[in-house]
Amino acid sequence: MKRRIGMLLGLAALAMLPFSAAAQQAGGDVLIKNATVMTASRGTLENTDILIRGGKIARIGKNLPAGTARVIDATGKFVTPGIIDAHSHTMMDAVNEGTLSVTSMTRIRDVLDPKDVAIYRGLAGGVTAALLLHGSANAIGGQSSTVKFKYGRPVEEFVVEGAPTGIKFAMGENPKRANFTIPGQPPRYPRTRMGVLEVMRDAFVRARDYKRSWDDFRAGKTRVPPRRDMELEPIVEILEGKRLVHAHGYRSDEQLNLLRLAEEFGFRVGTLQHGLEAFKFAPEIAKHGAGVSIFIDSWSYKLEGYDATPYNAYMLWKAGVNVSINSDSNERMRRLNLDAAKAMKYGGVPEQDALKMITLNPAIQLGIGNRTGSIDQNKDADIVIWSEHPFSPYAHPEITMIEGVVYFDRKADIERRALLAKEREELEKLDINKAPGSGGAAPRIPTERVRGDIGHIEDSDIDDHD
Amino acid sequence: MKLLLFAFAAILLPASAFAQSTAITNARIVTVSGATIERGTVVIRDGLIEAVGAGVNVPADARVIDAAGHTVYPGFFDAVTSLGLQTRPATPQGGPGGGQAAQQQAAAQSNSRYPMGLRPEDAAADELRAGEGQFEQARNAGFTTAISVGRTGIFNGRSAVINLAGEDVAGMIVKSPAAIHVSFATLGGQYPGSLMGTISAMRQMFLDAKRHQELQKMYAANPRGMRRPDADASLEALIPALDRQMPIIFNANREIEIIRAIDLAKEFNLRLIIAGGQESAGVADRLKAIDAAVLFSLNFPKRTTAASPDADPESLETLRFRAEVPKAAGRLALAGVRFAFQSGGMTNLADFSANAAMAVQNGLSADAAVRAMTLSPAEIFGIADRTGSVETGKIANLTVIKGDALAKDRVVTHVFVDGKLFEPKAPPARPAGNPGTGTGPAAAVAGTYNVTIDVPGQPLTGSMNFAVQGQSMTGNLTTQLGTAPIRNGRLTGNRFSFDATVAYGGANIDIQVSGTVTGNRIEGSIDSPQGAVPFSGTRVP
Repeated sequence: MKRRIGMLLGLAALAMLPFSAAAQQAGGDVLIKNATVMTASRGTLENTDILIRGGKIARIGKNLPAGTARVIDATGKFVTPGIIDAHSHTMMDAVNEGTLSVTSMTRIRDVLDPKDVAIYRGLAGGVTAALLLHGSANAIGGQSSTVKFKYGRPVEEFVVEGAPTGIKFAMGENPKRANFTIPGQPPRYPRTRMGVLEVMRDAFVRARDYKRSWDDFRAGKTRVPPRRDMELEPIVEILEGKRLVHAHGYRSDEQLNLLRLAEEFGFRVGTLQHGLEAFKFAPEIAKHGAGVSIFIDSWSYKLEGYDATPYNAYMLWKAGVNVSINSDSNERMRRLNLDAAKAMKYGGVPEQDALKMITLNPAIQLGIGNRTGSIDQNKDADIVIWSEHPFSPYAHPEITMIEGVVYFDRKADIERRALLAKEREELEKLDINKAPGSGGAAPRIPTERVRGDIGHIEDSDIDDHD
Repeated sequence: MKLLLFAFAAILLPASAFAQSTAITNARIVTVSGATIERGTVVIRDGLIEAVGAGVNVPADARVIDAAGHTVYPGFFDAVTSLGLQTRPATPQGGPGGGQAAQQQAAAQSNSRYPMGLRPEDAAADELRAGEGQFEQARNAGFTTAISVGRTGIFNGRSAVINLAGEDVAGMIVKSPAAIHVSFATLGGQYPGSLMGTISAMRQMFLDAKRHQELQKMYAANPRGMRRPDADASLEALIPALDRQMPIIFNANREIEIIRAIDLAKEFNLRLIIAGGQESAGVADRLKAIDAAVLFSLNFPKRTTAASPDADPESLETLRFRAEVPKAAGRLALAGVRFAFQSGGMTNLADFSANAAMAVQNGLSADAAVRAMTLSPAEIFGIADRTGSVETGKIANLTVIKGDALAKDRVVTHVFVDGKLFEPKAPPARPAGNPGTGTGPAAAVAGTYNVTIDVPGQPLTGSMNFAVQGQSMTGNLTTQLGTAPIRNGRLTGNRFSFDATVAYGGANIDIQVSGTVTGNRIEGSIDSPQGAVPFSGTRVP
């Protein structure tokens, strides 16, 4: 146990390098030799090579010639696609804009922090991409961001180019503020589940009117251009089918209501998030075409989260729903491989379909399934090399790469810990880092952000601890 | 005719126009704009520099200051302060609930449709107070000029460049408005209440201002059949920023905050200046690309927590951060980014020159350091034609120093502001021995104070009580949010600092408090993850 903690500290320290040395191993072709390749699309291939060229998977086969490529011997190792977490709040300097019931004008893209150490820890758990969502304090929350974990790179390189835009919706206890009141502040509308649905319907109606005002102006029917409304523009995009709705919710009745509301306004819901009761209306979900993104075996942390079962994933899979398993947590994000393994245990989802739940399925839910999520030719080389079968509790990623660039290398990480210890020693000798003697109050350093590395799930932030 | 007019003018002009001149002789003159004059004379008349050079004659009427062994610099310029501004009364008159009522009243009085805190039109010039005394400390450190702006809200308002002297406000203003200042802050209890919301709210306001400008043009061209555009003061104030006539200054220290400011500036084609800029070196290329200047804070981070065997080690990130900040100015210079120095709210202005010297030890040239506290800020704020260097015809803002401006043993002997001479008094000698014992100044801090905390839109009232033991302090902070014991209470002279944890909105929030006690008056600021707010109050007898 002690050794474990030491290793974790090492990981933490390493991750704080401003530019990860690992990330500098950019470019160049790579040949992964002789691995057990779990493709997530075409079964498992034994003793197989993967040739990576220009960040893409160029060839998959046996005994591929290396040419000029750097060779990574993966004999005895397992290779999977990079894990994709379809519900994350990592690398966000803000989670909830909780003051209003509709905050569609807010953008996660505006508050990304590319130096969040949790990104590196995620890479160490094999995660290469995530859907970064606004919290669940509002019926309609902010605009989401789909990112790859290119730790050490500038913030704009994290954002997956061409990925469909998304937005958070939420139903139930959080948006109706069942568990949150702020002293001295009047309660915020809505306070009931029916109120939440009304807020959504109202927003759609307002968005429809807004769009009409612009259509009229463009058609020359009005002289003065309407005011550009940053709240309603993303909602117009939902109605036009251009923006994916990712809807937080627990109870089957209100999630079904949302599907009906969407059908009334003519769009398809992207994903139902959490969806602990999704098994109760799996056929309706399949018919609507929404994805579901769930925890595999976590429940009862709030009243609306009691009626749950770990067989949820199995039942949804059986009904033909696209299921993904998410973490909603910086800590749990690092063990999604084990969460996928549990889908085999509870109900017996086949191995590849269980793996899909943390790779190809979330990729499809995020609208990036055509470029990542499986080990297939011409896809991005988002790849994890595991020490053993990824569904083993003893497995850990040895190398995690995104588009052919190594962002986590366990061996290099361990080697660099001595250098970091030395650097720390040097830095601690500087006057500026010494504890004040009798000198008294010195200028303050800016407050360090306390990150909610709360072990739990579910949009934790200052308002919404669950 | 012309002659006659001239004669009249001579009679009517105030006597000051023909006031006695002053000549600083035998001085080393660092002009900043040109070569340094090893031994020369500066003649000052009527608030302006009349002549400067090695062979300048001393006028017959001149009062002569023999500055042999001294150096004349352009007056130092602090590129961000709140000098001259009164802390707003936190609790307006009228009993409990007055805060909210006052806010509603203020909202009703303004012709802005935006809430307090989102009002760029607020002008520091409207809130400046007159009086020389308030600038004494700054002048003693060699400062003659400063940017002054409030610190609350998202839009802090529009700043003014002021000269640090003057019996009336109108006379001290050099330029107003100088710039619009912005913080990534939030509004208490209303939208925007998060960083995300703040950026979105600003984006919406810039879009609204753009539209406002378009509608005004349309209306001016043909008002018939068109509803007149609202005369919204907030939007009006943003138009010069959208036209790139007025710079917009973002308070940003972390790299990612600076990048966010750059992104927003690019989105709306704004003239960006960064204030703070502790991590600006890491994004120097981005700043250079849009020609954004940095008002770099010399309030360098230092470790403030005492060594404790029980404490967790500090993060490598923190250790590196403190080591890197003093290198930033040199890197900005190397990258060709324009920058000026600011005091960054430091409590002891002696740190200004000491930390400028530290920047020089870490790679900045000494000339560039002096420039960053004289001519560079004048250039950044577009007033280099009238101040910032020792040149004929410019404002007589001068600082005379025995020794070098960046040397530890320097002594500021004379400061001229608008030609008016101030002779700094030598700082009082530090009391010998431990200042925290007996009846020294430290003991004078002990007691109970009623304080008001100026949380924007939601002022809090409460009390602080301190017990003092040597240089450490214990006690409580009590507000509507409850009573919190103070931690890490420290005391130096009349300056104190402590930490506390308060419950707010269902979460525990760590705050850091620092301030001073002067007689029965207490004031300072409270730092929290949501930003810093000022507080002030008086001792309970």
